[in-house]
Amino acid sequence: MQQFVVLKKENFDAFISSLAQTEKVVAPVSRGYNNFSFQEVVSGKEISLKYIPTILPPKKYFLPTRETLTAYNKRENALNAILEYEKMVIFGVHTCDLAGIQCLNMVFADKPKDINYIIRKNKIAIIGLECNDYCDEYASCCVVENHLPNGGYDLFFTDLGDVFIVHINTLLGEEIVSKAAVFKPADAKTLKLLESLRQMKRSIFKDEVNVKHENLKILFDSAFESKVWEDLHKRCVACGNCTNVCPTCYCFDIIDEPNLDLNTGVRYRNWDSCQNEPFAKVAGNENFRKERSQRQRHRYMRKFKYPVDKYSRYFCTGCGRCSRTCMAKIKLKETINDLAKETK
Amino acid sequence: MGKPKVAFFDFSCCEGCQLQVANFGETLLDILGLIDVVMFREVMSEKSDVYDVAIVEGSITTTHDVERIKKIRATAKVLIAYGSCATIGGINGMKNNFDLEDIKQYVYKHDAKYFETIPTHPLHQIVKVDYFVHGCPVYQPEFVKVLKCALAGLSYVVPDYAVCVECRFNENVCMYDKGISCLGPITRAGCNSWCINNGNICYGCRGMVSNPAKNGQMDILKKHNISLDWVENKMNMYNKPRELDINEQKHKG
Repeated sequence: MQQFVVLKKENFDAFISSLAQTEKVVAPVSRGYNNFSFQEVVSGKEISLKYIPTILPPKKYFLPTRETLTAYNKRENALNAILEYEKMVIFGVHTCDLAGIQCLNMVFADKPKDINYIIRKNKIAIIGLECNDYCDEYASCCVVENHLPNGGYDLFFTDLGDVFIVHINTLLGEEIVSKAAVFKPADAKTLKLLESLRQMKRSIFKDEVNVKHENLKILFDSAFESKVWEDLHKRCVACGNCTNVCPTCYCFDIIDEPNLDLNTGVRYRNWDSCQNEPFAKVAGNENFRKERSQRQRHRYMRKFKYPVDKYSRYFCTGCGRCSRTCMAKIKLKETINDLAKETK
Repeated sequence: MGKPKVAFFDFSCCEGCQLQVANFGETLLDILGLIDVVMFREVMSEKSDVYDVAIVEGSITTTHDVERIKKIRATAKVLIAYGSCATIGGINGMKNNFDLEDIKQYVYKHDAKYFETIPTHPLHQIVKVDYFVHGCPVYQPEFVKVLKCALAGLSYVVPDYAVCVECRFNENVCMYDKGISCLGPITRAGCNSWCINNGNICYGCRGMVSNPAKNGQMDILKKHNISLDWVENKMNMYNKPRELDINEQKHKG
């Protein structure tokens, strides 16, 4: 198996069009105002190859905002599992979002296994797309080591000017390539170009915060009582944007809803957020995280401390979405630097 | 057991929320399979003093209204406040910005002496309300949800988080990114960001979240160069009677 193949730019549209004839293809599409979202496409022309992270990450295909899990019938005392999935190819996933999907995979494969998630994930092919430069000032992909590809894809595209060089990572990826019949084996010259691009990237991408990768966890280990959270409390309006756009936030609520006959109904899950006022509210109206400072702290801990303890991995992918979307302009890079300043 | 008897009532309002029921289309047939509508002035002539569920639109603005809603409460097993006028005072609440005598003179001129008026109240400030369906007008799918809960004896909890949450789910481009101000960040969800999905801003018709972040919201206004007066005007359009809730909480300590 040839590990690297090449696609001429002039054949890109033909590749997507032919792929879209047999598969549902979703890819980043411009929504105006420098906003992008993953949407179904039928040709390469619709795709924004140069895009900043989409409003919602590709998470929405792996863990839909609303997903039915079971259907019930009270009279028959029956509860039937429901599986909702769709076969598709996601094109143009940046390395930050590939990391996000890897994080979700770890969580949902952990005990107890989330069968709905795993079945859906297995129906989705992923084609990555390399960032040759920073998308904007909000990204912090280097400090969490997601600026270079690190698996989690079937195919991976890198723009080398006139051509894309494509890394084939799985059997599924190889099938897509051989079926398309527009890919050529990569020659030594193109491979050299890829190597020098990666070399160049190492000089462009630098740690975005004043803390080293390995010290982030140590910083957050002692950040619980920090004054920084009080500052966030004053600024945060608890709109929930930060968590809803996060590629690794996976909290959901489970709701039973009767149908109009009041006998049958469904149990579904939808995205929930630790930033929402009722998230930690329990019977008796007690709220374990009533203060916005506590909720913001929890969000950060859920990226830089708790998952590191459990999965040995940062759950911040450096995509910058939380900072970009924040109504109050709370910026992740600033928060980390403020925490670091405090411990000095 | 027969189907529950449902009656619709209206107080100060435009009756547009009831029109939402009339406009249901096919879902209405399913709903009618479940309930027996015994009174609905907008769509039928029959009347009844006997009913299990009262669906009440409009806000309380006269002493006569107060007596009437108390009677309805005494008769109905379940009372649903229906639409923003009933749930938060709504548009009628704008009256509470002014001196009552002045506003009477402005509206009725020489005949003002024939009319009595009290500050606008949402229903829950006068009687116990079992279910709230917010919105101006109500969002039909939410009303169906509430109705199912009421008939099945389940509680319905109005989401106590910002419209932004559902707006992100729908992956809309943020109005603030377009340079347009929007009341989404401070308004409670449940409408599936209906207005923004259709290119409009959020007008705050569902009322504020229970614990709005005053300082944070002020910062946002400053950042976007939006004057406080502008927001106050916008918020007062639907939320003025909220002051009466806050005063009451203060009294209770």
